[in-house]
Amino acid sequence: MAEDYEPRIVAFLCKWCSSAGSDLAGVSRMEYPPNVVPIQVMCSGSVSPLYVFSAFNKGADGVLVSGCHPGDCHYIKGNYYARRRLNLVKKLLEYVGLEPQRFRMSWVSAAEGTKYTQVIKDFVKDLKPLGPQTKLRRNP
Amino acid sequence: MAKIEDLKEEAKKLLREGKVKYIIGYGAGTNGWPAAPLFIKKPEDVDKLVWDPTCVHNLVRFLVDEKRRKSRQKQPDKRPVGIIVKGCDSRAIVVLLQEKFIDRNDVYILGVSCEKTGVVDDAKMSKKLAGKKAKTVQVDAQDRFVITTEDGKVEVPAEELLAARCLECKANFPVIYDVLSGEKTKRPLDKPFGSLEKMESLSAGERWSFWREQLDKCIRCYACRSACPMCYCDECVVDSINLAVTADTTADEKARRTRWIQRSAESSENLVYHLVRAIHLAGRCIDCGECERACPLDIPLRLLNKKLEKEAKELFGYEVGFDAALPALVSCFRDEDPQDFIR
Amino acid sequence: MKRTGVFICHCGINIAGTVDVKKVAEELAKHPGVVHSEDYVYMCSDPGQNLIEQAIKEKKLDGVVVACCSPNLHETTFRNASKRAGLNSFRCEIANIREQCSWVHKDKLKATQKATKIARSIVEKVRQNDSLDALSVPVTRRALVVGGGIAGIQASLDLANSGFEVILVEKNPSIGGHMIQLSETFPTLDCSQCILTPKMVEVSKHPMIKLMTYSEVQDVSGYVGNFKVKILKKPTYVDPAKCTLCDECTKVCPIVVPNEFDLGLTGRRAIYIPSPQAIPASYTLDDKNCPDPFTTIACGKCADVCKPKAIDYDQKPQIIEEEVGAIIVATGFDLYDKEHMAEYGLGKYADVLDGLQFERLCSASGPTNGQILRPSDHKEPKEVVFIQCSGSRDPENHCAYCSKICCMYTAKHAMLYKHHVHDGQAYIFYIDIRSGGKGYEEFVQRAVEEDGVVYLRGKVSKVFEDKGKIIVWGVDTLTGKSIEIAADMVVLAQAMRPSVGAQELAKKLKLALDKDGFLAEAHPKLRPVESVTSGMFLAGAAQAPKDIPEAVAQASGAAAKAITILSQERLFHSPTVAKVFNNLCTGCGMCVAVCPYDALTLKDGKVEVNEVLCEGCGTCTATCLRSAIQVKNITQQQVAEMINACLGG
Repeated sequence: MAEDYEPRIVAFLCKWCSSAGSDLAGVSRMEYPPNVVPIQVMCSGSVSPLYVFSAFNKGADGVLVSGCHPGDCHYIKGNYYARRRLNLVKKLLEYVGLEPQRFRMSWVSAAEGTKYTQVIKDFVKDLKPLGPQTKLRRNP
Repeated sequence: MAKIEDLKEEAKKLLREGKVKYIIGYGAGTNGWPAAPLFIKKPEDVDKLVWDPTCVHNLVRFLVDEKRRKSRQKQPDKRPVGIIVKGCDSRAIVVLLQEKFIDRNDVYILGVSCEKTGVVDDAKMSKKLAGKKAKTVQVDAQDRFVITTEDGKVEVPAEELLAARCLECKANFPVIYDVLSGEKTKRPLDKPFGSLEKMESLSAGERWSFWREQLDKCIRCYACRSACPMCYCDECVVDSINLAVTADTTADEKARRTRWIQRSAESSENLVYHLVRAIHLAGRCIDCGECERACPLDIPLRLLNKKLEKEAKELFGYEVGFDAALPALVSCFRDEDPQDFIR
Repeated sequence: MKRTGVFICHCGINIAGTVDVKKVAEELAKHPGVVHSEDYVYMCSDPGQNLIEQAIKEKKLDGVVVACCSPNLHETTFRNASKRAGLNSFRCEIANIREQCSWVHKDKLKATQKATKIARSIVEKVRQNDSLDALSVPVTRRALVVGGGIAGIQASLDLANSGFEVILVEKNPSIGGHMIQLSETFPTLDCSQCILTPKMVEVSKHPMIKLMTYSEVQDVSGYVGNFKVKILKKPTYVDPAKCTLCDECTKVCPIVVPNEFDLGLTGRRAIYIPSPQAIPASYTLDDKNCPDPFTTIACGKCADVCKPKAIDYDQKPQIIEEEVGAIIVATGFDLYDKEHMAEYGLGKYADVLDGLQFERLCSASGPTNGQILRPSDHKEPKEVVFIQCSGSRDPENHCAYCSKICCMYTAKHAMLYKHHVHDGQAYIFYIDIRSGGKGYEEFVQRAVEEDGVVYLRGKVSKVFEDKGKIIVWGVDTLTGKSIEIAADMVVLAQAMRPSVGAQELAKKLKLALDKDGFLAEAHPKLRPVESVTSGMFLAGAAQAPKDIPEAVAQASGAAAKAITILSQERLFHSPTVAKVFNNLCTGCGMCVAVCPYDALTLKDGKVEVNEVLCEGCGTCTATCLRSAIQVKNITQQQVAEMINACLGG
C-alpha cells in the first residue's frame, strides 16, 4: 500500500485514569505518533458498542478503548462491565472477518504515561501493514 | 410425538370459564405445511389446533403485539393470553419475564414437548418433496417423520429434515409452563454449537468473504426484527426512521435523534445493522430461528447470534432463557471474566 | 441556530511551538455554528479571559470552546469566565490540544491537523450541551456514629463539640470497644481504662450525644444529607435511671454463661454488667440466656432482690427511626477466631490464649485480679511463648496482610509478663518487627534490654501438650537451629479481622468491602476516611488494622469530613447526571442492575434517576439497548458527532 498511509485511530479514554495517563505522557513530553484522536468519556463502562461500530463506520482504521485497571475504577465497577461488553464486541468483529488488531482495549492508569505512549506506538505499528479499513467504512 | 388432546381440553376449559382472552396456537397451514399461527376465542374452535413437526413458528412474538395493543387501550382486558409453546419458545418467555416486558400473570403457558424429535427445516422439506404437495407431516413410533403427499406416505429419518437449531437443541420441552403435554424425554444434543464449527474453522479472510456476500444480499426489510420476540423496542437504534414519539416529544428531540447508520442497503450499513442487532441480542437470543426463517434472502442470521451465545457460555458461563431471575448478560460480571484481550 | 465561540490558546510556545494556532482558528471559523474564532497567547490570563467574556456579550455566544491545556487545569477558570459574562458555565468546554497533542507530537502539520480535529469534536459536543445548574438538596444537620469503641467515641465527641447532634449506636451493653478490655497501652504503658473512661463519661454526659447502647442499625435509606435510619433498641430489662449497681441481682441469678468481656476466661450471670466502668452505668438482662420472659415465667429472682425496682420484664424491643445527614462507621475489629488457629492449639488447650485474653489476665480487674496465672491450674507460668503473626502474613492459609499492632502489643505483653513474674522467661517468635510509631522502636528495645525478652526469628511449626506443659516447636533462622520450648503458657498474636457483624452492616449501608473484608476507602492514599458512598465515612480498625493513635486521628478526620456536609444548609451536586427518556424506556431494568451507586429504580415500568446519588459515570447508557437513558452533556448523540469530527468528517 501507499508509503504514506497513516492509520486513523479513535481512542475512547476514561477521564479519571486513561485520559489522565495520557495527560501525564504529555507532561513528561513523551513522543508518540499523531494518528490517535482522543475522545474523553467519564468511564470505560460508558463506551457503548455503538461507539465502536460507528467509529469504524465513519472510517476509523483502529479503535482503542482505555480505562482504569480492574479494582481501581473511579466509579467502582464500570470497567468490569466494559470488559465484558467489549469482549463480546471484539469476538463479534473478529467473527465477521474484521482484522482482530483493529479493535483494542487497554488498562492505563493515571500514573502510566509510559504505558499509554507504548500502547499508541504499538497500535500504529500493528495497523500500518493492514492498510485502510474498508469493511465497515461507509462509502462517501 | 406428543398428542395435545390434554392441551385442547385445558384450552376449552380456559375459554369456557373466561380465564383467558384468547389462545394462540398452531392450526392447519394454508398449503399443507407449515402449520400456521391460530388465534382462538371460542371454545368450539379449539379443535382446530394441531401439533406436528411443521409447527415451526415462535408464537411468543405475538405476545409483543398483545402488549402493544393493550398499551393503546384505555381500559385493557387484563386477563392473560393462552399460548402454546415448544421448549425453545418457552425460553423466549423466560427472557421477556426477565426483562419485565410481560408479567407472569399475562400468560397462561400451554407447553408441548418435542420429545425425541423437533420441527422441520423449510429448505430441507422442500428439497425432499421435490415439488410434491404435502398434506400432513407426522411422527411415527420410531420417531421418524411420515410425510403424506398426493402419492402416498414417505418415511424419513428425523435428522434428515430437522431444523439445524433442533440439532443443537437446549430445551426439547418447555422450561416454564402451566400445563405440559408430552413426555420430558432426554434428547441427546447433536453437538452444542455444532452449527458454528464450519465458520470457526475458516480463516478471517474466508469469514469476511462469507459475511460480505451474505449481508450484501440484505435489503433492510427488517423482517428479522419483526419476527424476533426480543426485538420489541419501540424504536430501533439502528433504524433512523421508526422514531418512538409521544405527545410531548419536541421537534428538537426528533431532529437530534442519532442516525448511527444510513437507511441505504449498502454493505457497510447492512453490516453495522446486523452487528448491532447481534450485540443487542447477546444473552437474550434463544435461537428460535425465526429471524433466519423470515429472511426473504436466506441470510444465515442464526450463525451471527449463535456465535455470541457460545461466547456468553464459554467466556462468562451465561445461559439464556432458563432463569428469569438472572440479571442480563451485560448487567453482571464476574471477577474472573477473561481479560487476556486487554493490554 | 448555534453561536459557538472558539478560542485557541498559544500557551506561549507550549502549544504554538508545534501547532499552527492561527491555522486552527481559521479552520474552526469555517465550522458550522462557529461565529467567533480567535487565537491568543495565554487564554488563562486576565486579558485572555476578558476576550471570552467580551465575545460572549458582543456576539451573543451560546457556547464556548477553549482549545488549550488539559481540562484538569483550567476548566473551572474558563467556566467561571463564561458565567461572569452571563453564559451558563456548562456551555463552556475545553479541547485538550496541549498534553494530548502539542506536547507529544513533533510533526507540525500533523499536530495542527489533529488539534483541528480535537477542537472540532469539542465544538460538536458543546453545540448539544444543555444549560445546567448544580443540584441542591437540603441537609439534615445531625450525624450517626455506628460503633462505640475509641474511634466511635472520638468521632462523636468531635462532632458534638462542633455543635452537631450525634446519635451513637453500639451493639454491646456498654461503649468502650476493645480498648476498655486492655490493661496498659503501648508505648507509654498508660492504664487503658484510665485514659478511656473520661472520654466515655464525656460521651454519656454530653447534651449533644444521644447514646443508644445494646442497639443495632437495621436499615439505612436515602442519600447524603438525607439518610433515614432504623435502629433496633434491644431491651435490657433494666431501667438505667433506677439501677444503683448494687450487684444483688447477680448473687441470686442461677444462670452462668461465658463472660464475653473476659473472652471466656470467666463466667457471668444472665443479668450482668460487662465491666465496673460500663457506660451507661446499668445492668443488662441477657434474654438469650435467661429463660425467655415472654414465653416462660422468668425465675424472677433478680427482680425480687432489686430494691430500686429497676428490673422490668415487660420491656420490649423498639425500632427507632432517625434522620441524619452523615454517617460514620466505626465498628472496629475482632481477633481471628480460634476455629482458624487449631494448629497452634487455640481453643484446644486451656493455656493457649489469644492477645485479648492475655490482656484480661494482666488487667487488675480481670479474671485473676492482675496476676498472670495459667487458666488450667492457676499456677504462675515461668516460661511463656508469644507467637507473632498468628494468622497474619499467611496468604496460603489465613490472612495475607499484616495486622500492624501485634509486634507492639506482643512486646508489651512480654514486658507486662516480666513485670508480674520477675523470674519468668518470655520468648517471642517473630518474622519481622514493625515498630514505626513515635516511641515504638525504643519500646521494643526496652523489652529486649530491660526485660530480657528473647526474640526468636522464625515460625512455629507445632504446638502440643505434654504432661501439663505446652511444647512449642519452632525455628531460629538467625542461628539456623530448631527450637523446642516446654512452655507453661502460649499467647498468640491473632490477626485483626473486621468485627463480627460488620459484613451484614456493610450490606445494609451498601458500603463496599475490600478484598479482606474491611470497609473500603474511596482512595487508599488521598481519601482514607471516606467510603465510596457519599455521606458515609470510616474510622478505626473497621477500615484496616491500626493502633489507638491512628484510630483517634482517623476518627477526628472522619468527623471533619462529616462536618463538611453538616455545616452546610444545602449540598451541591454536579448536574451532569443521568436522564431517562420515557418514550424509549421499556422498564427492563438492565441499567438498574449496573449502577454502582444504586441511583436508578424501577417505578411503574419506567426507570427513575435519583439525581443526588447519580455520579454521571454513564455505565447505564452503554448498557441500555434502546439508548433510553443518557448522561446530560455527554449523550450518545454528542459522542456520535465527536466521533465524526475526530475522523475529519
